[in-house]
Amino acid sequence: MQVTLKIERYNPEADESRQETFSVDVVEEATLLDVLDVIKDEVDGSLTYRKSCRMAVCGSCGMRMDGAAVLACKTPMRPVVEAGEVPVISPMGNLPVLKDLVVDMEPFWAKFRAIKPYLDDGGEEPPVKEWRVQQEELDRVMTEALCIQCGCCVSECNSMEADPDFLGPAALAKAARFVNDVRDRGGKSRLEIYNGPHGVWDCTRCYFCNQRCPKGVHPRDAIAKVGAAIYQEGMHSDGGARHAKVFVKSTHQTGYLLETHLVPETVGPVNAIKEIPFALRLARAGKVPNPLKPHKAKKLDEVRKLNKLIESQEQATLEAANAGPTRPPADPAQSKESE
Amino acid sequence: MVRHDVVVVGAGLAGMRAAIEASRYGVDVGVVSKLHPTRSHSGAAEGGINAALGNAGEDDPQKHTFFTVKGSDYLGDQDAIAVMCEEGPGDIYELEHMGAIFSRTDDGRIAQRPFGAGGAPRTCYAADITGHVLLHVLYEQLVKSGVTVYEEWFALDLVTDGERCVGVTAWDLVRGGVQGVEASAVIMATGGLGRMYRGTTNAYACTGDGMSMAWRAGVPLKDMEFMQFHPTTLKSNGVLITEGARGEGGYLRNSEGDRFMFNYAPNAGELASRDVVSRSEQTEIDEGRGVDGCVLLDLTHLGAKRINERLHGSRELAMDYAGVDPIEEPIPVRPGSHYHMGGIDTDVWGHTLMPGLYAAGECACVSVHGANRLGGNSLLETVVFGRRTGAAAAQDVRRNGSGGVFSPSAAAIAERSIGRMLDTNDGERPHVLRQELADAMYDNAGIFRSAEGLEACKAKVEELRERYDRGVVVQDKGRDFNTDLIQAIELGSMLEMADCLVTGAIARTESRGAHSRLDYPERDDEAWLRHTLAFYDEGQVRLDYRPVTITEYEPAVRSY
Repeated sequence: MQVTLKIERYNPEADESRQETFSVDVVEEATLLDVLDVIKDEVDGSLTYRKSCRMAVCGSCGMRMDGAAVLACKTPMRPVVEAGEVPVISPMGNLPVLKDLVVDMEPFWAKFRAIKPYLDDGGEEPPVKEWRVQQEELDRVMTEALCIQCGCCVSECNSMEADPDFLGPAALAKAARFVNDVRDRGGKSRLEIYNGPHGVWDCTRCYFCNQRCPKGVHPRDAIAKVGAAIYQEGMHSDGGARHAKVFVKSTHQTGYLLETHLVPETVGPVNAIKEIPFALRLARAGKVPNPLKPHKAKKLDEVRKLNKLIESQEQATLEAANAGPTRPPADPAQSKESE
Repeated sequence: MVRHDVVVVGAGLAGMRAAIEASRYGVDVGVVSKLHPTRSHSGAAEGGINAALGNAGEDDPQKHTFFTVKGSDYLGDQDAIAVMCEEGPGDIYELEHMGAIFSRTDDGRIAQRPFGAGGAPRTCYAADITGHVLLHVLYEQLVKSGVTVYEEWFALDLVTDGERCVGVTAWDLVRGGVQGVEASAVIMATGGLGRMYRGTTNAYACTGDGMSMAWRAGVPLKDMEFMQFHPTTLKSNGVLITEGARGEGGYLRNSEGDRFMFNYAPNAGELASRDVVSRSEQTEIDEGRGVDGCVLLDLTHLGAKRINERLHGSRELAMDYAGVDPIEEPIPVRPGSHYHMGGIDTDVWGHTLMPGLYAAGECACVSVHGANRLGGNSLLETVVFGRRTGAAAAQDVRRNGSGGVFSPSAAAIAERSIGRMLDTNDGERPHVLRQELADAMYDNAGIFRSAEGLEACKAKVEELRERYDRGVVVQDKGRDFNTDLIQAIELGSMLEMADCLVTGAIARTESRGAHSRLDYPERDDEAWLRHTLAFYDEGQVRLDYRPVTITEYEPAVRSY
């Protein structure tokens, strides 16, 4: 079949960007990566992209097709061709472009390193054999363990666009993988990393990461798990955590989100005063509801019912999570066998 | 120019494990890898890692040793196999303590399932993404260790002072330019070479670079003719479907619906060793009982629940790359080149014959796999011998201090040779040669071999080496992130290694393990119970031989 692509190219040595159209003949089952390979072999050897496993496990070939992040090797082209589309292929977002479709992954890995990306054994001597852990306990981190660090989620992250220092969906999904591992002893000191500035509370919950992850990791859900763990540890003092609390309070009391309450209660009265000029500018633009007029939803009881329902569901989840041992027994295998 | 006490080339499981171990001895360790560590092909391993934990039934390291010796068709060195099988359980527990997420038994221990020709349920696994889980756990530990990693540096050549290895030269892919990497000890952990075959399970990166570096420096390569074909790979692109699929109870059927494996291996059936299953499949296909060049891997009777729990990744691969949901219908599969048993000749501590040079993992040949590797033993080899090699290199450095002199001209020589490649404007594009090589190897040095085919293959490889030496055209003339250049260099490695493989295969006039000669169908212990050594001799391959180490198990007839 004939595939036509428009490829965003960047030559760093000439600091030159351009879009180039390629049209090649490929086999029916060709993936986007296969198409790029044919172009590189037969048309232009300077076309540059990363690749290795071609089976969606190494995480090398993240890029964008029509503005959405994909793994090239996991993207079949037949549906695209049959729809008569000529997609634009461009490098992933939120990372500096090195050349053509290759981005600099160092900022990505710097965040990975920042979240203490290894099991914290607390300096304890491990058992002689394996930790005794139930399958259900490991299942709690299995989703995050699927992550191949390809960067597709980071490419799509809206928060990171606004705050490049945001730890981001990949690093925080990795964090969740340790937070919910019963063998980890990181506890509060681990959670403090995620509770601070640029941590979990910076996520705007746009869910693009969940949508674009090619491995079903659901990074946004992972961020929620980390946030829940922070709450459970009673770490409410961070602005992000307070923001979430005020959010809930406001909807509970009025059925609405009251921005005029949200700011002072989240950042405190002193800092809220500093925001007054900004608030006035917003007001002039008609973006602030009248603070004096009482706001209450007509069917407030329904909102409260919803709140209750979510609370009870979360409580059940927490109880289920706490039902298992928080720490694996030291070494029952050994003691049993020595009996 | 950078310097470390120990430099590891390659950052898959063996390389990272070696680096972590060496750093524990307080020496300064650097890792040079053409890929970021988590992009390494170890991550594609699916089914699992063997060790006689005895969690799913009676087992012990002696039994593991025996079945590995038998699986190797008695070509494996029995002292080395015993080391791997005895130390294996300790390494598994250590991986678990590092955080590896192994699937569990009902009482919370590491679960184990049967793999082909293992003789016991011995394969520990993390669903069917075991390699992925282990690769990421070792990367976590590598980050924790603080070892310096030179990502996307492509190692070009070993640097020697005439006697010992004193470092490597490497091309910095990101910025362009040759870097000298000086070291008192160099550990090669560069993986396999499956890309020289058409229809391989291997990643694009598996091009035998490390083996060819060692070979050109005069270090012998061992048992290069032994290439394993995995019985269950997808037709379209060779992607692997784990042996765990059969370990969990999957059937192989021919076009008539028969479970044909029992005609070839009456006892083990689908769980005979890989060489046996691959040959049986190919025979079915050749004799007209195939389905569009494939046989059928039938998992439908396992049910959706079991498939989703234990074989989730395989289901996804089958749906993505074969358009088949294994819950609903069988997966068409065929044998594909998968694992190279041969490699850089080492002892059980990773020492090569060159002082200062070590090797571990698929690029090395200890030899624990002999003529045929058992499923689940390659991941085990990477961690056991990665650890041992890292320890040996670090201890040698601490004992002997730094070695020889790293000549500053080494980088200049490499820079000139790269310059020549970039300046070549007349000639063939590398992919033309690569495709011809892959076809020749698959057609003539594949599952079934003969003198005629192998001689034709050798002639083809020699012709391709000549065409390569005349100069291939790298169209990308830039220095920054020049993957066109890297692919051209990789082709050179593959051509040299193909020559070693085919030359060894022509000489070995017997059938043993994965080396199956139609013109010599029997195993010949009298003449061939010995390792092949391939030396570099002015660009050509010179063969020599060495006895196999036999300790407990006398060679016997191998049947399943």
